[in-house]
Amino acid sequence: MTADEISTIKEMPNNDYFVSGHGACPGCGVAIAVNNIMRILGSDTTVYVPASCLIVFSALYPTSAFRTPLLFTAFENTGAVITGIKAAQRRRGIEGTVVGIAGDGGTFDIGLQALSGAAERQEDVLYICVDNEAYMNTGIQRSGSTPFGAWTTTTPVGKVTQGKRQMKKDVMDLVIAHDPEYAATLSIAHYNDFIRKVEKAKHKSGFRFLHVLTPCVPGWRTEASKSVEIAKLAVETGMWTLFEYEEGEARSTYKPHTMRPVTEYLHMQGRFRHMDNDDLNTLQRWLCAKWYYHYGHDVEQPACAIYNGEKELHFDGDPLHGV
Amino acid sequence: MAAQTLAEAAILGGHHAQAFPYFGAERRGAPVRAFTRIDDKRISIRSQIYEPDMVVILDETLLEIDPVVDGLRSNGSAVVNTRKAPSELDIGVSVRCATVDATSVAIEALKAPVVNTAMLGAVAKVLDLVTLENIQKAIADRFGEKLGPRAAEANVLAAQLAYDGTKEGRCLGARSIVQRRMWLPEWDEVPTGVALEPEHIEGVAVGPGSSIQNMTGTWRTSSPKYDREKCIRCLRCWFTCPDVCIKRLEDDHVKVDYRYCKGCGICADVCPVDAIDMVKGVHEW
Repeated sequence: MTADEISTIKEMPNNDYFVSGHGACPGCGVAIAVNNIMRILGSDTTVYVPASCLIVFSALYPTSAFRTPLLFTAFENTGAVITGIKAAQRRRGIEGTVVGIAGDGGTFDIGLQALSGAAERQEDVLYICVDNEAYMNTGIQRSGSTPFGAWTTTTPVGKVTQGKRQMKKDVMDLVIAHDPEYAATLSIAHYNDFIRKVEKAKHKSGFRFLHVLTPCVPGWRTEASKSVEIAKLAVETGMWTLFEYEEGEARSTYKPHTMRPVTEYLHMQGRFRHMDNDDLNTLQRWLCAKWYYHYGHDVEQPACAIYNGEKELHFDGDPLHGV
Repeated sequence: MAAQTLAEAAILGGHHAQAFPYFGAERRGAPVRAFTRIDDKRISIRSQIYEPDMVVILDETLLEIDPVVDGLRSNGSAVVNTRKAPSELDIGVSVRCATVDATSVAIEALKAPVVNTAMLGAVAKVLDLVTLENIQKAIADRFGEKLGPRAAEANVLAAQLAYDGTKEGRCLGARSIVQRRMWLPEWDEVPTGVALEPEHIEGVAVGPGSSIQNMTGTWRTSSPKYDREKCIRCLRCWFTCPDVCIKRLEDDHVKVDYRYCKGCGICADVCPVDAIDMVKGVHEW
């Protein structure tokens, strides 16, 4: 890393390329992530956004919240479109970053083939997945990214089934399998880690992939003011792991001192309110395996906490939680 | 959900009724409309309602941006969520009017600014076709089924409180009804974005960066108060503000741009020294 690369909030440029007046819900995690990504990427950036919350709230017709060029076409082709934009710029001799910012639906499910294609061709583009763990823009439908047990409108809670029955897809492993130039997971609550990784991705050339966890207030049934705290708890409980992949090697960039029980993360969100002990144990066991996979079996490794039914998940407050 | 509940209450009162939404964005804060049609005989018409007898406005600020009272005649009526009395309120048509501070009622009863059930309580006071009893029954039914008995109880209470707090009168019709802004450019008027230089784009009504003309500060129900003395200039609030309305000054102190603040409260939550405090209501400092 050279000396003039930024790695803290203080060093960040005070130029906003993502401006006020967009229509995101109060407390939107995607807006936080995109705002800071744009501050770091700067003016020489071309943004492509497929169908997602981001295009709906940042491009309220006829306005745009991006002060850079913004393009939009269909849902499934983020990888292909940013490849094309980069090719056109190369041809015309334009220098700059081409970035595609897709949601989890546009990355995990619908856009996976175009993402895989671009990664395999080692295109010189930056692909960012803002992951809010369901299709929030169309009214909270499950995606490949929705975690186990979560309520969505297509994984309802009732007598027969209770929330999503499958685990979250590990899209980072899929991307890493293409051996990209750079891939990293980001959290909006770990500021310096976030800044350092975006900065690193900006200065590398080749296929770069960033995966950001972005809490969603209406979809996760949370309080608007808690978005950042929830993102932080996601890391502390192991629901989200911060690591980066470069030169053929994955390396964790932040390791929590202790693994907090997953119930601390779940009880802040109405979408998990219904979960019973069996489901909690299933999720916790899966988390433990994920924890060991990322952080290894060190001697100092805290023992994985198995939920024993002591704590109520019930959220007390907004009666609309866990609709 | 309010339109459906109203229809259900009318049916409980022996009327025929139908309810349906206008299809649009399903995002919190987006303007939405829904319709209820009530009759004594079977209803065969299925169209949207263009000439309503009653308009229920859940957010007063819609009057500034949307022709909500379009088609309302002077013999109609309106129910508005506002702190004003009917005689102080100008909705563009002089009609029989009822006002209620449904936001405060909802925050008291539900601990959230979700005003639909409170507004139904106010509607019950004005509309002879439905009684408060039937409204509450319909709320308990619909909300109880979807959200559980605790939510049903809270929403029934909200309707009661709003019913008691509703003021009736006649509102003014001085203002002109805003027409929905239509922008239908010719092919050569469409800005291409990529062709514009960065230094020319500020303040342009369309194209890059033009969303600054949308004043999202009207969404706010609580406001951040910044204490410059306590601030340690860590800039966490600047980093985590989703609406880019915390402006970073030269010396790394911050200033809140209330024109855009939606009042989410993240800045107060992340502040390590409690230099930002969320105050209920719409304020500016």
